[in-house]
Amino acid sequence: MKKRKFKIGLTIAYIVLIIYALISLFPFFWSALVSFTPMNYADETGTRRGVNIMEWPPSISFFTLPPTLFKAPASGENYAKVFEITPYGRWIINTVLYAVLVTFGHLLFDSFGGYAFARLKFPLKNFWFTLFLATMMIPGQVTLIPQYNLMVSFGFINTFYGLVLPKLTGVFGLFLMKQFFTSIPRELEEAAKIDGAGYLKTYFKIILPMAKPAITALGIYIFLGTWNDFLWPLLMTSDKSMYTLTVGLDFFKSSYYTFWQYMMSATIMMTIPMIVIFLSFQKNFVDTGASTAVKG
Amino acid sequence: MKMKAKTREAVAGYLFSSPIIISILLFTIYPVFAVFYYSFTDFQPTESQKFETSFNPEEALSINLNVLLDFDDVTYEDVKEWFVLEDFIKYDLGVKLNDEQYESLVKNLDQEKLLRDFVDRKLNVEMPAKDFFKKYMRTGSEKFTRYIAEWVGLDNFTEMFSDQYFWISLKNAVIFSLVVVPVQTFLALLLAVAANARIRGRKFFKLVFFIPSITSSAAISMIFMLIYSKQGVLNKLLGLNIDWLNNPNTALGAIMLMNIWTTAGYFMITFLAGLQSIPTSLFEAADIDGASYGKKLFKIIIPLLKPQISFVVIMGIIGCMQVFDQIYFLIKNLRNITIAFYIYKNAFEFQRMGYASAIAVVLFAIILALSLLQKKFFKSESYF
Repeated sequence: MKKRKFKIGLTIAYIVLIIYALISLFPFFWSALVSFTPMNYADETGTRRGVNIMEWPPSISFFTLPPTLFKAPASGENYAKVFEITPYGRWIINTVLYAVLVTFGHLLFDSFGGYAFARLKFPLKNFWFTLFLATMMIPGQVTLIPQYNLMVSFGFINTFYGLVLPKLTGVFGLFLMKQFFTSIPRELEEAAKIDGAGYLKTYFKIILPMAKPAITALGIYIFLGTWNDFLWPLLMTSDKSMYTLTVGLDFFKSSYYTFWQYMMSATIMMTIPMIVIFLSFQKNFVDTGASTAVKG
Repeated sequence: MKMKAKTREAVAGYLFSSPIIISILLFTIYPVFAVFYYSFTDFQPTESQKFETSFNPEEALSINLNVLLDFDDVTYEDVKEWFVLEDFIKYDLGVKLNDEQYESLVKNLDQEKLLRDFVDRKLNVEMPAKDFFKKYMRTGSEKFTRYIAEWVGLDNFTEMFSDQYFWISLKNAVIFSLVVVPVQTFLALLLAVAANARIRGRKFFKLVFFIPSITSSAAISMIFMLIYSKQGVLNKLLGLNIDWLNNPNTALGAIMLMNIWTTAGYFMITFLAGLQSIPTSLFEAADIDGASYGKKLFKIIIPLLKPQISFVVIMGIIGCMQVFDQIYFLIKNLRNITIAFYIYKNAFEFQRMGYASAIAVVLFAIILALSLLQKKFFKSESYF
């Protein structure tokens, strides 16, 4: 009797999980289908026919080669077309640069700060720490307008300086790194100190190598956030050649809004790198990403 | 000797922390003060930038004097006679001035210097208007080189009270939080409890549920634009014919659903980590006592997950109050905008940064109050 009850619970758990897995994946699956559907195709008689991606029920088959999507043979031509009609390659470069520079800044400066606050004594340390803690409650919309005006007065609009400079550090990373450094035993540093190593040497030779898990978690978190960032690049870039992928998508939407196939190709292309990064670093995400935030 | 080591440590401390200190002071602390200041002014970015626009004084003058650009035999006496100061300032400069600025220019423009430089052919260079004023005004040029927004006191705040779009956008943000937060918290908890059962493929489900939250909101917006379109797959599956995003009655709901889809999986991971830290002995003891599943849920799981639940709720509310990207991409109707979007709209489309700053101050107060409330209720749990 008891066993039966348990089994029912397990079945319900499976049903819930499978249904939600389908819900999670379906939008990606559907947009990928559309992205591989050509704009038109030649039917048996050789006549060119337009494709209706809104047809219902959709005639989709994965058992043909190439698979049939909405009556047409699947192809990657939309992906190539995206590079033709927009400076998509340039946008990829911009986004990679933006994300890499910002991530590098965070890893360096947040961990520098984390080290100072975890290990070194300096005047006003508590004041700064409390101030930083208080800034966590400030929403982005509040600082946005003055930040924008600062960049205008520096003449940094439409430059990488403007894009990157205000984003190079953050208190979230500082606290993450500080917390990690505090958990490292002091003995090793003291040994290094006796050997006459300076603070910088101790940091790079001893502290940083030990902080690899925290550095990786922070790095992925920042890289993803920056890659996906939309509002700041929207404000900072005015030339099409300076756009990042998210801003490019907005431009794309306003110029080609009826060309679903192209739009979905552009969307899928900017999403895949994040999924790849996520899958390769999944352990850091699922184990540290969400749970460190809740650690008491 | 000991003193020296201490100083050395203090210097090192500041060297290590100075990048982040400077950055936070410049890009977070200063902006907070600035936004408060702006909120009492009618700061307009177009005003602040209009004297930055470059022009060619020689061209402007030759239009005024009605002489060709390749003049040779024009003397200072000639141009002095032909020059019409008021027209030059009003039309030929190409900069829109207010009355005060106009008066000041009429009074203080050094005509002789300007016209002599013109005759000497020194003016054929592009220069920003503010540099021109600096060079050719006897006094008072600082009013043109530095934009000082007009102080309007509490006008922006009183305007907000009668601005229907402010109320609509605030109301929408509140509705957003009130619907999205409970639903996503419940859903995340449900998924976590299900994934915590003795099932196979837990890792697979965790990965799949996490994917929406690592996708950019821009990309998600495009994908849902396809799914929500009138001919789209959602209507086909449901047998309906609704223009989800363009119908003001359904648009906000559609965005909320999309938001829940994006974040529920992420918060599920938070709950799952919490659930897995609950010792199994507690459940075994409950089993021996013959406790039902509902009892276990309310007596063990929910009380022990309090820190996670408070985290998910407060992060959810803060996130919802700031929803922007999805609205920017998908909403065309002003009836369905949120407060974050209305701030953007005022600052960067209507060119009313003073008013936008005042709304931002209100949003700040709301989020601050929520954070403090949360601190009060969940004193024991801190995240850092």
